[in-house]
Amino acid sequence: MSAFPRPPFDAELEAVLAALADQIPPTLTADMIPQLRQAAPAQTSDEVLAEAGLTRRDVTVPGHLGDDITVSVIKRRDHRGPGPGIFHTHGGGMVSGDRFSALTQVIPWVVEHDAVMVTVEYRLAPEFPDPYPVEDCYAGLLWTAEHAAELGIDPERLLIAGASAGGGLAAGVTLMARDRRGPALAGQMLMYPMLDDRDRTVSSAQMEGVGLWDRASNTMGWTALLGERRRTDEVSVYAAPARATDLSGLPPAFIDCGSAEVFRDEDVAYASALWRDGVQAELHVWPGGFHGFDLAAPHTALAHAMTEARNSWVARLLGA
Amino acid sequence: MERLVGHLRSVDPEASESLRIVEYFDVLLKRGAGVDGLLRGAAVLSGTVAGAEVRGRVSRRGPEGGVPDDAPGARCSSRRSGEGWSVWLERGGDALADDEMIVERLALGVELLEARRRPAGGLETVIDAESPVAERTKVLARLHLRAASPVRIIATPADAPEFGAPTATVPTPYGLLRATLDTADPSAPGEAVSPAGPAGLGTRVRADRAPESWEAAVVALRLADGTDPVVDASYLGGLLLVARGHDPRSPHEDVVALARLDPRAAHILRVLVESESMRSAAAALGTHHSTVQARHEALTRALGYDPRTPLGKIRYVTAELLLRLTDPAYLPASDG
Repeated sequence: MSAFPRPPFDAELEAVLAALADQIPPTLTADMIPQLRQAAPAQTSDEVLAEAGLTRRDVTVPGHLGDDITVSVIKRRDHRGPGPGIFHTHGGGMVSGDRFSALTQVIPWVVEHDAVMVTVEYRLAPEFPDPYPVEDCYAGLLWTAEHAAELGIDPERLLIAGASAGGGLAAGVTLMARDRRGPALAGQMLMYPMLDDRDRTVSSAQMEGVGLWDRASNTMGWTALLGERRRTDEVSVYAAPARATDLSGLPPAFIDCGSAEVFRDEDVAYASALWRDGVQAELHVWPGGFHGFDLAAPHTALAHAMTEARNSWVARLLGA
Repeated sequence: MERLVGHLRSVDPEASESLRIVEYFDVLLKRGAGVDGLLRGAAVLSGTVAGAEVRGRVSRRGPEGGVPDDAPGARCSSRRSGEGWSVWLERGGDALADDEMIVERLALGVELLEARRRPAGGLETVIDAESPVAERTKVLARLHLRAASPVRIIATPADAPEFGAPTATVPTPYGLLRATLDTADPSAPGEAVSPAGPAGLGTRVRADRAPESWEAAVVALRLADGTDPVVDASYLGGLLLVARGHDPRSPHEDVVALARLDPRAAHILRVLVESESMRSAAAALGTHHSTVQARHEALTRALGYDPRTPLGKIRYVTAELLLRLTDPAYLPASDG
């Protein structure tokens, strides 16, 4: 048991955890990576896209070191450009997931604002450790910005979005775009982002063997990404954006997390650091939320509130 | 990580679905969720719209948790109702296997919420240690009882039938249970309330100390099994004090050590404790004296105490008792 008492889970979320106790181990270990990768088929199928009135086109683009990677361009069948663009980096702890993971979070913005989504199939750790994932993502963003006109994207309204590990990658790519004078981003949507490899927060210590994606799972993910470099000075701010000491000049950010998840303290700290450096940020800490609760328990009142807050921020950013 | 997680209803439909349903509603009620939370749970578990009408107000929720746009559909046959409320699932066509159980749990939940909101409450107030004595006494008066009247509380599973006495369904550390008031005079056996199925009989107390009786009844019910379906807490004597200090979700390390033993080791341990001598233990187990000796030493190491000393025996028996009062989810897997 943890030495720190943690905030209780939300009642509905605790009910979900209790009911799924035999299905979801709180701790994921490296030997479970193969199962993780094939645990579920890609969450967002072409049928789901079609139902939402969307089309998908796959394009091969240059990734890190010029290697081929795939991106999917997803937009409304009746898209009339140029409209907003959303560059999506999926989650999965750096070790699992694919470019169709959890698109349910992004699809409403494509539908509502006639945006064009580009979602990137970055290569996964541990086979492709840092900097592959973040460099693949950055390469995908470069391609998107360079082909904005052809994709029907207004380059002034290009937003990056990702959840969990994808949120960390989105934050890292945003730092890269600033430092390399790359594409100008209009905003960064960081959904419970994975930002810090150093495992030194209270929220991490509070989440041992409970909830989803506990402390040990997080250590597994970072170790897969960074190997021996984890928790040393050899880690770049692009791999672990929590290490960045200067966040000035970044686009407006939206950050959310649950109060009962490993990432809580690093996510709150990142929002504070953005404010400190004069960057606009909106922060939501959902009481009693475990990691990824909007995906595991989308029917709950807290998940609805989380989704509404995100949709509202995107509407203000893109609709203004 | 989110790929591992799907909608509740889509994950491994084979596995203990009914347990999942019971667990889901138990946690909701224990944690004080309202009607809408219950409805969202019923909807996601059934995959269809769940509805409730409580004191004239209709609420409906779909499996995504939202309020459905369409007009109410056909209510399935497993609709339940009580005083001032009814609940249902909306499903065109035949009810699915779990519908009945989902509606039953939803009904239990709404019944509980309604009972809680009634001014001054009923039996649930009488047995609630948190409610002020003055309030409990007021409710007792309504039940025609004085503070000093002798009573005991009987615990049965939440879905057990009522047996003609004041009753309430309440959340406990062991899930939802039914409490029933027994005011029968024990010296007049003809009058006694006699539950049929599994039941825990609380201690006999003054009516204004009913929460103690209820706590004891819950412990007794937990100890009931196929051999002893009805357990009387008063037989536990001072052990009740031990049980009262036990958190079913945070067992003592003696309990954890016991839970780790495989069934064979647990059996040997029991024989060792119950035997007069090592020699008779060896005879009972049909093994050689030296084997039993080695087993005894291994068990002493595993438990952290010698179960054959007078104090060790008491520790073992206590741990055995508390093990049965512990939530299995908070125990390690046995080594077996």
